Amino acid sequence: MTPKGVTLNTNSHKIKFARRFIRTLLRMRKNAPSSSSIEEIRKRSQRIKIAAYSSMAHAVGSRRAWSRAILFKLRNRARHHGMMRRRSMKKRVIKNDPPGDQSQTNKLRQLVPGGKAMDMCSLLEETAHYMRCLSTQVKVMQTIADHFSK
Amino acid sequence: MNRGFIQEEMLHCTDMTVLERETARMKWHQDQQQQSYFGGTEFGGGGGGGVVFQGHEGHHQVQNFQGLVGTGGGDLVLGEMVSQSVKVVDAAGLKNRWAELGRFELPDMGFESCGLVNGTSSEFEMTAGAISRTSSCAPKVVVAAVAEPKGKVSAPVGKESSKKRKADKVQNTQVVVEDEPKDKRKKLCAEDGESKITEQTSTKNTTADNNNRESSSDTSKENSKASEVQKPDYIHVRARRGQATDSHSLAERVRREKISERMKYLQDLVPGCNKITGKAGMLDEIINYVQSLQRQVEFLSMKLAAVNPRLDFNIEDFFGKEKVNFKQNSCSFGSLGNLGVQHFLMLLILFLLQYQQMFPACSTSFPTIGMSSEMTNPAYLQFNPAQVVACCGLEMGINSSDMALRRAISAPVSIPETYIDTPSFTQLPPSSTWDADLQNLLNLEFHQGRSTSFPSQPFTGSIEASNLKMEM
Repeated sequence: MTPKGVTLNTNSHKIKFARRFIRTLLRMRKNAPSSSSIEEIRKRSQRIKIAAYSSMAHAVGSRRAWSRAILFKLRNRARHHGMMRRRSMKKRVIKNDPPGDQSQTNKLRQLVPGGKAMDMCSLLEETAHYMRCLSTQVKVMQTIADHFSK
Repeated sequence: MNRGFIQEEMLHCTDMTVLERETARMKWHQDQQQQSYFGGTEFGGGGGGGVVFQGHEGHHQVQNFQGLVGTGGGDLVLGEMVSQSVKVVDAAGLKNRWAELGRFELPDMGFESCGLVNGTSSEFEMTAGAISRTSSCAPKVVVAAVAEPKGKVSAPVGKESSKKRKADKVQNTQVVVEDEPKDKRKKLCAEDGESKITEQTSTKNTTADNNNRESSSDTSKENSKASEVQKPDYIHVRARRGQATDSHSLAERVRREKISERMKYLQDLVPGCNKITGKAGMLDEIINYVQSLQRQVEFLSMKLAAVNPRLDFNIEDFFGKEKVNFKQNSCSFGSLGNLGVQHFLMLLILFLLQYQQMFPACSTSFPTIGMSSEMTNPAYLQFNPAQVVACCGLEMGINSSDMALRRAISAPVSIPETYIDTPSFTQLPPSSTWDADLQNLLNLEFHQGRSTSFPSQPFTGSIEASNLKMEM
C-alpha cells in the first residue's frame, strides 16, 4: 500500500544514483593517489559516504524535504569550507540533551536529514521516503562493492 | 418545510461546503467524465476542497472559482465559493456517500499531492486530498463532513450525551458558531447521531463570546490548529458518534489519524514489523532500521574505499560519452520494473569487460544467469553475474528474471559500440577476448533460444542485430 503522497519511482532513482555515484567514485580514484594507509582509507571512506548521500539527494532532487536538507548542507559546506576552517572549533559545539530525555521523535529527527524542522506528520512521511531511498542506496553500493571485491 | 428553509440557508451560509462536497462526490461517481482539470490545477494553486467540486458542478462555478483563486489564496476561496453556489442536496445519493466517506475519507487524507488529477480513479483521492489540502491551508481544518438533508428533527437521545459533553468543556475559543442559522444548518447537515451532537453544540455555544467571535467570520465550526486565524473558509469535521466534538479534539483526532496512517505505511516498509503494535514500538523499530541502513552505508563506503584503488583505469571519458546513451536507455527502462540495478550492473560489467586485457583472459562462460558458474578468476575480477544478481536482492520475480535480464542486457550492449570510436578506446587493442566475452554475455541472454548463436560478425553489427531483436 502506498499513500498517495509518498510515491517513489525507485527505478529512476536507482539509475540516477548509480550514475552519479560511479562518476564520483571514478573521479575520486582519478584524483587521489591510491594509498593503503588506514588514515587515507578512512578519509576516503568519509568522502565516499558523502558522495553516496549527495548522489542520492541529487537523484531525488528537490522534491523531498530531506533531499533538500542534504543539498543545502552540502552547498553550505562547500561554501564555508574555507571559512569554517578557521572558526571550526568554536562552531562545532552541539548541545547535547541528556540521553535519557531524548524521546523517540527526537531521535528520528536527528536521523532523518532536515527532520528537526518538521512536524510529526511530515516527519513520518519523509522518513518513509528516506528509508526507501536509503535501501536503494545500500543495494547499489552493495553491488558495486561486490563487483570490486571479487 | 425544512428543505425550503435549507435552501435559504444555503444561500447565505458558508458551511455548505459539506453539501457541495457531497453533491459533487455523488455526481462524480455517477458522471465521471466531467472531472475537470480545473479542479486539479486550481487545487494545486492552493484552493480549498471546494475547488474540486466546483469544477464538476458547472463551468460558471469553475470560472467563479478561478476568479477566486486569482484573488487570494486558500483563504477566501471556500467561503466565497460557497456563498456563490447553491446546491440542492440529493438525499438519496448523499446517504450512499456517507457510508463511503466514513470509510475512505480519513485514511486518504494527508497523502494526496497536488498533481493528482488523474481521472476517475483518483477522484476519491482528490476529494480526500482536497479535504486534507484545505487542512494544510491556512485554516488547517480537516473535514469529514457529510451532509444529508434529511431535515429531521434530532432525537433527544443524542442530545443528552452531547449535552453532557458540552457541559464539561467550555468551548469558546475555536468554535465559531452562530446560534440561529447554525441550528438550522445543523439540522440540514444532519445524520443521526452526529447531527444531534452538532446541533447541541450550536445550541450550547450561544455564549456571548462566541457570538462576538463569530461576528467576525462566517458561521462554521472551525477546527483549526492555527487557531488565531479566523477566516471565512471553514471546513467541517464531523464528530463521530460517541466522541468529543470540540474543535480541539476534532483537529487532534484528524492529526492522530494522519499519523497513524503514516505509521501503518512505515510498518509495511520496515521489514519484520507486522507484530508490533503501538506507536512507541514502531518508532523504535523505525529508528533502528534507519540507523542500520545508515550504518550499512558507512560500512559499504569503507569497503569501497579499501577496494577502490585496485581499479585505476580511466573510465571517466567513457562515462562522459555514455551519458547520452545511458539516458536513452534508462528512459526505455523506466517501464521495465526493477531493472535499474540490473541495467547498471550490466553497464558496469561491460565496462569491466573492456579491460579484460589487464587481467588474465577471462574465459568466462556464463551458462545461465541463475546458475553460479565456475569461472576462471582473473587476478582481480571474478565476474559472476549470478552472484551479482543474488546480491541485488533478486528484486526481479523469478518468472521475469530471464526476460528482464535479457532486455536489460540488450540495451547496454549498445553502449560499448559508441566507445569503439572514442580515441581512448583505441588504446586498448580490440582484443578477441573482449569480443568473445561479450559474445558470451550475449549468449547468456539468449541461452534459452531466443536467438541463435551469433555469427562472428563485426562486433558492432552483432550487437545491433541483437538489439533489434530484443527491443522488438
